[in-house]
Amino acid sequence: MSDSNGRPEINPAVGAMLQSARDWLLHEHSLFRTLDLKPVLIGHSKATFSVYLPEDFCNADGKIHGSLLTLIMDSIFGLAAFTALDELKPIATINLRTDYLADIAPGGRVACAAECRRLRGDVAHVAGDLTDENTGALIATGSGAFMIGTRGPNRESRL
Amino acid sequence: MSGRADIAMIEEYAARSPISKWLGFSAQENGADVLFHLAVDERHIGNALIRALHGGAIAAFLEFSAEAMLHARLHGERRLSSINADIDYLTSARAQNMTARVRLVRVGRRIAFVEAVGWQKDEASPVAAGRFRFRIGEEK
Repeated sequence: MSDSNGRPEINPAVGAMLQSARDWLLHEHSLFRTLDLKPVLIGHSKATFSVYLPEDFCNADGKIHGSLLTLIMDSIFGLAAFTALDELKPIATINLRTDYLADIAPGGRVACAAECRRLRGDVAHVAGDLTDENTGALIATGSGAFMIGTRGPNRESRL
Repeated sequence: MSGRADIAMIEEYAARSPISKWLGFSAQENGADVLFHLAVDERHIGNALIRALHGGAIAAFLEFSAEAMLHARLHGERRLSSINADIDYLTSARAQNMTARVRLVRVGRRIAFVEAVGWQKDEASPVAAGRFRFRIGEEK
C-alpha cells in the first residue's frame, strides 16, 4: 500500500513511535546537528535519511573516513529497528558490519536507506546501504542486529 | 619496532587526519605496545537522556586506532584503505573516556587483518570489539 507519491503508508499504530523517534533524533543533538540529518522516508520497518558529510570526518587522504559511514548506519539502522516495534521499548546495537565500496569526498550528502528485515523474538535484523546523492553511486552496505527491550536507560541500553 | 617509534608514526598520521581531532584521539606508549585513547566530549554522546557514547563514535575510534597502528607498523610507507569492519557492542558505554588496544592479526602483502578492543574502566571488561580488514596499497 502506498500514498499518492508512491511512498509506503505509515501504519497509524507506529505514529506514537515515530514521535518518539523524532525525540530520539533531537536528543542526538551535537552529533546529528553536525550531520544535518533530513528524513526522506520513515515507515514501518524502514527509514531513509539524507546525511551531510562534514570535513571534520576526513582521513589523511582528504576523503571521508569509512568509520563515519558506520556511524551513520548505526544511527539509521537503529531507527529502522525502532519503527518495526509494536510497542515502545529501548533498543541497543548488538553488532554491525560495514562493507566500504567506494571513497567519497566531504561536502556532499549521502542517502542512508535501512530496512528491518526481520524481528525475531527480541532481536531485530537490519540491513541497508549508503548512496552518493550526487552520483547515485553505492558507497557502503551494512547489516546489524539490535537487541529489543534492554534492561533500562542507565544499565544496558545505548539508544 | 618499539612502542616509542610507533607513537611518532601514529601522531604524524593523526595530525593529518581530521577525524582524529573529532575523536579526541591520542596514543600512548605502553612498553612495547601502544594504547589508544578517546577523550569524551558532548559530540560523542548518542543519547543525551542516558548519557551514553554513540555506538558509531565507538566504532570510529576502534577503526581509526586499528588503522593508525597498521600505518605505524608499515612505517607510513603504504597507502591504506578500509575493506570492511565488524563491531561487537559488548555492553553499554557510558559518557566516559575510552581506551583501546590493537592487535595486528595478520599483515600480508596486500591485505591486513586487525582487531581492536576498547574499554572504559577495566581492560578485563571491554565495552566493544572490532575486526577490520584493510587493503595495503602501493608504496607512496
